[in-house]
Amino acid sequence: MKTQVLLIGGRNKAKSLAISLIQSGYHVTVINDTYEDCLKLAETDKLMVINGDGTKPFVLEDAGANDVDIAIAMTSKDEDNLVICELCKKRFHVKKTVALVTDPKKTDFFYKMGIDSVVCAITAITGIIEQQAFIDKMATLVPISEGRVSIAEVPITGNASVVGKKLWEINLPKDVIIGCILRGDTTMIPRGDTRILAGDMLVLISSDKQEMAAIRELTDGR
Amino acid sequence: MESHIGKIGHSDYVVIIGCGRLGANLANTLSEQDGNVLVIDKDREAFRKLSPSFGGLTIVGDATDFDVLEEDAQMSKANVVVAVTDNDNINIIIAQIAHEVFKIRKVIARLYDPERECVYREFGIDTICPATLSAKEIERILSKRNADDVYEEVEK
Repeated sequence: MKTQVLLIGGRNKAKSLAISLIQSGYHVTVINDTYEDCLKLAETDKLMVINGDGTKPFVLEDAGANDVDIAIAMTSKDEDNLVICELCKKRFHVKKTVALVTDPKKTDFFYKMGIDSVVCAITAITGIIEQQAFIDKMATLVPISEGRVSIAEVPITGNASVVGKKLWEINLPKDVIIGCILRGDTTMIPRGDTRILAGDMLVLISSDKQEMAAIRELTDGR
Repeated sequence: MESHIGKIGHSDYVVIIGCGRLGANLANTLSEQDGNVLVIDKDREAFRKLSPSFGGLTIVGDATDFDVLEEDAQMSKANVVVAVTDNDNINIIIAQIAHEVFKIRKVIARLYDPERECVYREFGIDTICPATLSAKEIERILSKRNADDVYEEVEK
């Protein structure tokens, strides 16, 4: 059986997430309390839409919460998201609950109340803005495990000082490795004696917040 | 309006969130009995419902905000927290914050919808549901009347 995902609240966020989840092969149901939003959501193929207040147990039941594997609460109100996740967990025994929070100070509290995953939009967005401001669109960064580890994509330009050097000759921070080099159409897992060429795209894996130092080293501080 | 809670004496310190009819009524009663009462509401106008002789404190603010609870309301010193705003979910989150973060043992929340009640009983939060209470009261009045009818018939 397909994995059942239940999305509660959220207008455009819910729609784009639903489309992406359906494409990945999940069965998705959306609950939204605004009729107009429901009409918009219902335009999506294969998406089940329910109009109602997702903080009410009977609405969740109508949406089949008993068979749901993952519930994602993304309304604009923190208290609603908490109640939705708690009802899903306690009453409908949903395996995984995810809540969006607006107030970063509530993240720990939400975890304490038994929610499996808490996403704070403000923390995430400020993090991205910070990265963008520092690295000036030179690299893409993907934080994983709440930012403790990150994967970065770093393009190497022709005038970079690392061009022509072997990997072991580059002075990278200790907690960073170059996991992969994308060169033209080929993908290679580099070794210490692999040379970096202009136009390479390096994939870095780093822990302990060392990615910025590594990116600066590889792109001469830009 | 805001003043220091340090002045408050030895008896119970009660924090009431939501100054509606129920919140204001409770605050007035406790204040008359010389209790230490603090009322929080996001709307300043709501405090009009407090009686002129109300001797407790009032705070205008969002009671789901940790800073308001911790610094302004000195929540950790409270013995009793009563969440009686007009929104069930806000009452729930406040009750849980009070119980889990500030470790207050006596937490009471009003829930309009009795369906959610079962989930919160196990969290150690006392809930009151107006609909259930009213239904019980109506039932009591009806059963009393029935008993009176029977009595009257017997009298005849």
